[in-house]
Amino acid sequence: MKPNRIAITGVGETPFLRKGDQTVMQMLTRASLAAIADAGLTPADIDGYIANKYVGHGSDEIAHAIGGGEKRFCAAVDSAGGTATCGQAIELAQLAIEAGLARHVLVSYAIWSNKPGGVYAVHAREPQKAGIEMPAGFFGQPTYFASMANRYAHEFGMTEEEQASVPMTYRAWAEITPSAQRRDPMDLEAYRKSPMISTPLRVADCCLTTDGGCAYIVSAVEEARDMPHPVIAVQGVGLGYNNYPQGVLFTQKPSTFEFPGRESAARAYAMAGCDPKDLDLAQIYDGFTISALVQTEMLGLCERGEGPRFYAAGHARPGGRMPVNTSGGHMSGGYVPGINLMIEGVRQLRGREGARQVPNARLCAVAGLGGNSHSTTILARS
Amino acid sequence: MGIPVYPVHLEDPLLQGFYDGLAAGELRITADAETGEWIWYPPEVVPGKPDAVLEWRAVSPEGRAYTYTTIVRSLLPGDHKAEVPFTCVLFEPDDAPGVRVPGILIEDEGVAPACGMRLRFKPVEAGDHWIAGFVPID
Repeated sequence: MKPNRIAITGVGETPFLRKGDQTVMQMLTRASLAAIADAGLTPADIDGYIANKYVGHGSDEIAHAIGGGEKRFCAAVDSAGGTATCGQAIELAQLAIEAGLARHVLVSYAIWSNKPGGVYAVHAREPQKAGIEMPAGFFGQPTYFASMANRYAHEFGMTEEEQASVPMTYRAWAEITPSAQRRDPMDLEAYRKSPMISTPLRVADCCLTTDGGCAYIVSAVEEARDMPHPVIAVQGVGLGYNNYPQGVLFTQKPSTFEFPGRESAARAYAMAGCDPKDLDLAQIYDGFTISALVQTEMLGLCERGEGPRFYAAGHARPGGRMPVNTSGGHMSGGYVPGINLMIEGVRQLRGREGARQVPNARLCAVAGLGGNSHSTTILARS
Repeated sequence: MGIPVYPVHLEDPLLQGFYDGLAAGELRITADAETGEWIWYPPEVVPGKPDAVLEWRAVSPEGRAYTYTTIVRSLLPGDHKAEVPFTCVLFEPDDAPGVRVPGILIEDEGVAPACGMRLRFKPVEAGDHWIAGFVPID
């Protein structure tokens, strides 16, 4: 794929709420219409749709709900979590636009975390988890990632203060983000009061429970030049996969905390013709403290095994040399897997984010994790 | 420390062999019957070998903890407040490199859980079934 052929021309979202009253379809629709309006388009201009396997609504339903025009291209991403929204959808959109199959592609996602069965119901449906892991009490994302954190600490070292510095960093950004879901200040004392779930992960080490929706519009760069906002081009995108199914991923992978992020980052940097030192900021899929730390290393923002020290030194905080998760990320801003991080990346590069604006932001990496997959997208203000 | 009590739900009857082993006091995992290669967890299809037959074989009761976590708030469906805390471990049998069996740490008073700690298998009753327990040794 070639760099700088497509741009993100519109972004939109619903409020992020601990418990909302909207259905997934209603949130998808509201976020999509907001993104379309932000791009200066009408629903009739949307001719491409990328749905998501995990949302449960296809492009036909979304097109109908927004009152869209003639649909010329549709696809669905089937990677999990942030890989799908931060990378796989971008690749598909570029393929469609470069092939002339669509002019303006809508990517949307909504999550109803409070649905019956909760957010872990997907794991309970895995036969191996239900049959072997759940009777032993090994169940739920915080438990899986807590076991990774202990192994990571065993191999590289991580103090409680270093671990705490990750959620404290993201909270510091959320404090200056009006739309963030959690804005109350968090120092080490407040962190330590956060309830433990599975050692060493506290509630504060986990992404938020959010009801919300997000959407963005992808258009050709040539089209973007005539649209309302500065051109935010996709300079690079890369995906990485391993073949461990979700049922065995958290226990049987040789290193349980090794995600295919190094591969996705290498591909994205190669396409973009840049390296980590060129970045002005990054958005990193922070489902949990440990997964954010590891991806920070995989993006090349610090050396392998040095993530805890990187955060503890304050490099990612407001005013730091490499701002990360500038709207609070998934731990404090809101959790709409990956896609709200993409939106924040675009907004930072547009340059109008007030108190949290990173000065002179021109290049932003967005990292998305999907368990057995990973994406890195490099956004650039042209 | 508590013991998680959650019903064994076997959508795949192949997994029954694990519980048959626990009831017999053995830790059994699946291997390719022809080659003897450990295949764990037992998949619906052995990668690249759809005709492969799996059989249950006992592994060493001794091994190491790959990792662990102490569950303070159980996320299992239902009310499990009375069962916490307990410590889950991923156990690597000495004679099955790369294989990890989830279970709980038992008889661990005064011993801090740690990656790499030596463990010995000992089945634990959990309601109407057995689960894998692991006792610190050394």
